[in-house]
Amino acid sequence: MSTEPILEIRDLTRRFQGLVAVNAVSARIEAHKLIGLIGPNGAGKTTLFNLISGFITPSDGDILFEGRSLVGLKPHQIARLGIGRTFQNLRTLPNMTVFDNVSIGALAAFGHSPWQALFRGQGAVSRRINELTHEVLDQVGLSGQAGELAANLSYGRRKYLEIARALATRPKLLILDEPAAGLNDTETAKLAEFITGLVAQGMTILLVEHDMPLVMGICDRVIVLASGAKIADADPETVQRDPAVLESYLGTRDA
Amino acid sequence: MNAPERAGLLAPPVLKGLLAVIVFVVLPGTLLTIGGGYLFQIATTALIFVILAASLNLVTGTTGLLSLGHAGFYGIGAYTAALLSTQLGLPFLVTLPLAGLSAGIIGVLVALPTMRLVSIYFAVATLGIGEMIYVTLLNWTDFTHGPMGIRGIPSIELFGWRASSSLDEYLVVATTAVISLWALSRLTHSYYGNALRAVREDDQCANAMGLNVVRLKIEAFGISCFFAGIAGALLAHTGKFISPDQFRFSESINILAMVVVGGLGSLPGTVIGVLLLIILPEALRGAGDFRMIAVGSIMFLSILLLPKGLLGEASALDLLRRQFGEAWKSVPGSNVGWR
Repeated sequence: MSTEPILEIRDLTRRFQGLVAVNAVSARIEAHKLIGLIGPNGAGKTTLFNLISGFITPSDGDILFEGRSLVGLKPHQIARLGIGRTFQNLRTLPNMTVFDNVSIGALAAFGHSPWQALFRGQGAVSRRINELTHEVLDQVGLSGQAGELAANLSYGRRKYLEIARALATRPKLLILDEPAAGLNDTETAKLAEFITGLVAQGMTILLVEHDMPLVMGICDRVIVLASGAKIADADPETVQRDPAVLESYLGTRDA
Repeated sequence: MNAPERAGLLAPPVLKGLLAVIVFVVLPGTLLTIGGGYLFQIATTALIFVILAASLNLVTGTTGLLSLGHAGFYGIGAYTAALLSTQLGLPFLVTLPLAGLSAGIIGVLVALPTMRLVSIYFAVATLGIGEMIYVTLLNWTDFTHGPMGIRGIPSIELFGWRASSSLDEYLVVATTAVISLWALSRLTHSYYGNALRAVREDDQCANAMGLNVVRLKIEAFGISCFFAGIAGALLAHTGKFISPDQFRFSESINILAMVVVGGLGSLPGTVIGVLLLIILPEALRGAGDFRMIAVGSIMFLSILLLPKGLLGEASALDLLRRQFGEAWKSVPGSNVGWR
């Protein structure tokens, strides 16, 4: 169980003026595990995500990815180190095709420059981007709609497109921000199967989700945030029986 | 669907050949038989504007950065070519690339600090920079001759051959325009172009996917200014006279209108937009000032009825709306207007 962590968060704190959005949170994410991150609205989940992916800088504390500190790095540098992410509100690129959307992820993995575009249009780099994009499209089952504009895809399909684009960056750690939001039960069940499939293939996933049955059903371990602080970090069964967790979700008896 | 293979209207070799025949044989032939030096001037102007609008299309259409100062960089190119040839006697083959480089380098220098500005604030900054360039050209009289402009710019000369007729000038400008369009189309119809499009669609998301957004923006802006400078050099050497009035804000808007009417991100669309907005005012010359109303109406109607322009990839109104939206979005801990 106690393998070397791929991501380690140490006393991470972020203050916005008076508000402490994330308060001295420490956590370890081991490789090839599926870790759930839950908490009531405003618990600091998204802030924690944005801290890991570099969109916000921490006020205090450290984030180590494979032993290397991420503090001070730009989002694209963090993505290139191997952290892929999706967004809570879908951020597929609407006026671009499904293929082009996914190729964006692959681009970063293989590099790109104006010179390449001008003089080596069909060169080795383009071929590799092309191959990787097709491979990922196959993996998520979007090959048939590769030429479609992303805006014309159904909501459920766009969720997979978003995941595909993150997978095309060849991440070692994949952070999914509420992938099941807005999906019906059948779609959620399929998504759960897809996510566990990724982990079985060796991916490490940090999953932020509101859908409790989904998180409790598939995660190896669950971290619970409330008011910016970590209140529980254990296997799903233990977390479900934890009084502090029950209190934060349901309120205290006399309140 | 596959980016390098899909290349819009210009892609099939047959079509490319056909266009080349039209530009280099049919059009000059027709103009010769109608017999008009004046018509050649319009055709040459149209081609210069094709380069200008296509270069703006790279930064505004493909990359989604609203630039309102493009005429300023066009002016830098024109003045570089004019001063180098009149003061130092340098030949066209040297002034042309140097005009592009000076505009491109100044573009990059301007972009370095302004790329931190968010969306609409960047547009306002480019407006200011365009006006600064205009005022500099106007008031730095020792160097630029101020409002008098620069006269007697030598005509185009290539290895001892002098472009003496309007036809010669047309052919040189057409060749430069075709090469510029080729370069710009290679840039946009590639994975690199996809990266630029991703910046237009959602720069934060592009950033999270590992794209260095700031670098891409600076590159696109620099390349765009380079080609604006090339267009300026062509104007200087074919017009023989330039003055600051040719590089005012209204000209920037004119170039932007061509891109919007043609459709953001589409090179064939841009070319059609240029032809519409250059030829129409000429054709309506008889109508006097009424023609300006006609041109304005065309723009208004095209935005209203064709949200994506003639052949565009993205809606101009959407882009503008998003830019305003982003400018006032309150993200806790972020700064208003810049990052």
